[in-house]
Amino acid sequence: MIAIWQGFLKAIELIVMLDPEVLEITTRTLVISISSTIIASLMCLPLGSLIHFNNFRGKRTLINLIQTFYSVPTVAIGLIVFLLFSRSGPLGFMELLFTPQVMVIGQVILISPVILGLVIAALSGVDKAAYETAIAIGASQFQATTIVIREARYAIYSALILGFGRAISEVGLALMVGGNIRGYTRVMTTAISLETSKGDIVLSVALGIILISIALIINFSLSRLQQRWR
Amino acid sequence: MILLETLSLTHVYDGRPVLKDVNLKINNGEVFALIGPTGAGKTTLLRLLDLLEIPTSGSICFNGVDITHSRRQRADTRRRLSFVQQKPIVFSMSVYDNVACGLRWRREKNETIRRKVDNALELVNLAENRNRTAKTLSGGETQRVAIARALVTEPELLFLDEPTANLDPVSTAKVEEVLAHVIQERKATIVMATHNMSQGQRLADRIGVLIAGKVLQIGSPNDIFCLPTNMEVAQFVGVENILKGVIVDKDDNLVTIQVNSSTLQAISDYEIGEAVYALIRPEDITFTLAKDKTSARNVFEGKITKIASVGPLVRIEVDCGFPLLGVITKRSAEELGLKVGGRIRASSKATAVHTIKRWT
Amino acid sequence: MNKKFFKILPLLITIIVILSFLIGCAPPAPSVPQYPVHAAKARFKIATTTSLYDTGLWYYLEPMFEKYADVEMDIIYAGTGIALEYGRRGDVDAVVVHDPAAEAQFIAQGYGINQRYFAYNFFLIIGPPNDPAGIKGSTATEAFQKIYEAGMKDPDTVKFISRGDNSGTHSKEKLIWSKAGFKYADVEKSGKWYIEAGKGMGPTLQMANEQQAYVLADISTFLSYTKNTKATIVSLVEQDPVFLNVYAAIAINPDTTKVTNIDIAKKFINWLISTEIQDVIGSYGKAEYGRPLFFPLADGSCNIEGCPPSEKYTTPVP
Repeated sequence: MIAIWQGFLKAIELIVMLDPEVLEITTRTLVISISSTIIASLMCLPLGSLIHFNNFRGKRTLINLIQTFYSVPTVAIGLIVFLLFSRSGPLGFMELLFTPQVMVIGQVILISPVILGLVIAALSGVDKAAYETAIAIGASQFQATTIVIREARYAIYSALILGFGRAISEVGLALMVGGNIRGYTRVMTTAISLETSKGDIVLSVALGIILISIALIINFSLSRLQQRWR
Repeated sequence: MILLETLSLTHVYDGRPVLKDVNLKINNGEVFALIGPTGAGKTTLLRLLDLLEIPTSGSICFNGVDITHSRRQRADTRRRLSFVQQKPIVFSMSVYDNVACGLRWRREKNETIRRKVDNALELVNLAENRNRTAKTLSGGETQRVAIARALVTEPELLFLDEPTANLDPVSTAKVEEVLAHVIQERKATIVMATHNMSQGQRLADRIGVLIAGKVLQIGSPNDIFCLPTNMEVAQFVGVENILKGVIVDKDDNLVTIQVNSSTLQAISDYEIGEAVYALIRPEDITFTLAKDKTSARNVFEGKITKIASVGPLVRIEVDCGFPLLGVITKRSAEELGLKVGGRIRASSKATAVHTIKRWT
Repeated sequence: MNKKFFKILPLLITIIVILSFLIGCAPPAPSVPQYPVHAAKARFKIATTTSLYDTGLWYYLEPMFEKYADVEMDIIYAGTGIALEYGRRGDVDAVVVHDPAAEAQFIAQGYGINQRYFAYNFFLIIGPPNDPAGIKGSTATEAFQKIYEAGMKDPDTVKFISRGDNSGTHSKEKLIWSKAGFKYADVEKSGKWYIEAGKGMGPTLQMANEQQAYVLADISTFLSYTKNTKATIVSLVEQDPVFLNVYAAIAINPDTTKVTNIDIAKKFINWLISTEIQDVIGSYGKAEYGRPLFFPLADGSCNIEGCPPSEKYTTPVP
C-alpha cells in the first residue's frame, strides 16, 4: 500500500521533471499502439463489412473462429511471431526481429480478431432494413454499405478503442518479439515488467500510474470527440 | 398511357407461391390502391414492382420496355422510382440530412439539394423540424419524413406500403392529408398498398384487390365496393350479406332470385336458371317497424337475433328465413326501439342488390 | 460499380495495407535517437546473461561501445539458455554468458566462435538471516547437503529457490548438487522446499527475499539488489573454489547462422578484453558498494582452479 503512494509521488516527479527516459518510453508506447490500431482498423473495417454483408457457407464458423481469438494469450502470438521473424525463420530475411516494426506487426495480429469481430457485431446491430432502405433511395452498394457503417459508428468506435486498449496493455508479445531493448523497443508494459522483476517496485508503480493515466486521457478525449460528432 | 405493366407475374418464396399470375397496368398520373388482407402478397408485389427483387416468372415493363432481368436496366429504372416502407427506417442524422441522402448520392449540387429538400419538407409539413434528430420523431412524423425522402428525388412512380398501418387515427389523418396534398400538387403516379379499404376508396383512382396472391378484381372504388365480381372480394370489401340463390324470373334486367323460401329482386344480366350470389351491403338495408310503409321492392320480415354496437353505429342481425345483416345509426336504433328477439322489417332496393355468378 | 469488383475491393485494400507496411512505407521506426542520426547505423545485437544486466554494468558500457564502434547497440536480457538459442537462430550477433559447459557445447556445435573471457566473480549462497538450515561457514557442497536435509524435514521453513532456467547460474547450481552427491533429477522432484523460479537473477533474488529462502547468486547481482531494495537475505557461504564464475563473450558464427555483423562482434570482443575496458570493468561499483562487482581477467589475478587459460583473455580475435 505504501508502495502505491510512493509510486504515485514518483510518478508526479517523473512527469514534472519530464524524465527523458520515461518520455521516450511513453512516446514509443503510444506510437506503436496507435500505429497498430490504425493499421488493424484499416484492414478490419472493410474486411468486417465484406463478411457481414455477404452470406457464404461457413460464415457462422468463421465468426466463431474470430471470436475464439479474442482472448488468445499474447505470449502465444508472441511466440508465433518470434518464430516467423527470427533470422532462422521464414521471414527472417526481413531482419525485423527485436525492432519496433515487428512489435507493430505482432500487435496488429493480436488485435485484429477483436476489431474484426466487434465490427461485424456492430454492423449486425444495425437494422437490416437500413441497407435496403438506402438501396431503395438510390444508393449504390458502396454508398449503402457506408451508411450502415455510419449507423453503427458508436459500436465501431468502441471496437477500435478496445483494440487500442489490448494493444497498449499487452506485455507478452512486446517482450518476446521486441526484446525490451532500452532505447529501442522498450515500452511501458515491458519496462514495468522489468522494473518489477528487478525489485524496483516504486518505479514500476509510477510507470503503471502513468500508463493508466495516458489510457484514461486518450479514452476520455476520444469519447469527447464522439459526442462532438453526434 | 401505361407507365408500368406486369405480365403473368408469379413469385415463389421458400417453395410457397406468394403471387400467382398477376397482370396489372398502372397508368401515368393515376393513384392505384392495392388492397387486400394481411399476407395477401401486397408487400411482395410492391417490392417486385420497385425492382428490389427479381420475380420467379413473368415480366415487368416500364414505359413499354421489359426491364425484368437486365441488372443495368433495373438499376437505372430503380432510380426513377421511390418506395416508402410500412415501418420506414430513418438514419441517425437530422431530418434534413435524411431527406437529402438520396440527392447527395446522386451528387447533386448543394443549392439544388437545399431547394428540393425544403420543398419536400414543406409538402409534408415538417419544415420546422428540419434540424431535429430523425430518430426522435413520432411514428407519424417518421412516415412523413420517409415520404419527403421518397419525393425529393422526383420519382416517376411512388410506391407506398401500408403508409398508415402502424399509426393512430390522428397521425393517420395527418398522413392522409399529406398524401392528398401530394397527389394534388405533384400529380405523381402512385401505387399504394393498404388493408384499409376506406383509405383506398378515399385516395385512389383505381383499386386492385389482391387476395391470396391473386388479383381478383381491378376497377374504380365504386366497382369494387358495390359491384364485387366474386365472393372473396365481396367478403373482403365488407359485403356481408351474401345469399345463395337461383334466378327464377327475368323482366328486362330486373330479375327475381329465389333465396331459400323467399324471393329477392335485383338488377342483373344473368339468365333464368343461373345460380347466383345476391350481395347486399349492410348499409343498404333499411329497418322499419312492421306497420310502416316502404317503397323498397325487397321486404322481409324477421326476428332480430343480434344487436352489436360498432362505434357510432349499430349492427343488426335478422333472421328472415336467411340471415340478413344491416347497419343503422344508434339514434335510429333507439327510435325504433330495437331489441333482440323483437320482430322487424328489413328492406332493400333492387338496385342495391348485386349479383355474381355462383359455381355449384 | 461491378459487384464482383466491390466484393474483392476490401480484400485488396487489406493486402495492400499489409504489403506496404511490410515493405516499410508505413510508420517509421519510433526510436528516439540520442544524437543526430546521419545514416542508419548498424544495429549490433547481443544477448546477455541476466546477472550482468541486473547490476547495471551494461547501462554503463553500452554508450561507451556505441561511441567507440559507431553502432547502435541492442542489449537483450536473457538467461543463458535462451541467449544461446537466440545465437543459434542468428537473432543476435554475440552472446555474453557464464556457463562453461553450455558454451563448450555451443562452440562445438559450430554456432559460436572467438570466445573470450573478460571478467569473473564469485557465486555465494544467500539465505535468511536466521539460517534455519545452519549452513553458515560450511563449504558449498556441505551447505547444499544441509539445505536438502532440512528442507525435506521442514519444507515450510527451509526453502531453496533455483533459477530453473538453464542459465549459467542454474548450471553452477546443478554442478554443486552433483558434487554434493545428488542426482539433480532427484533434487528437482524431491519436495516443495525446492522452488524453481524460471526467472532472471534479480527476480529470483526478489523471490528468495519474499520467501526467506536460500538461493545461489552471483555476488554482483546480490550486492546491487540488496542496495536498491530493503532485502533482508544475507550472504552465508562465500569462500569456495566451486563458486568461481567466469563471464565469456562469444561471437555468432556467420557460416552456420544468418548473422551479418561478425566484424562488429569481433570488435566488441576485442574491446571487452582491451586494457582500458578491463580497468573500467574492474572499478565498476567500487564507489557504490565498497567492493568491486567484477574482477578483470586481464591483470592475471584469476589463479584458482577453473580460471581460463591466458590466451583466452589476452589474445585479441583476428
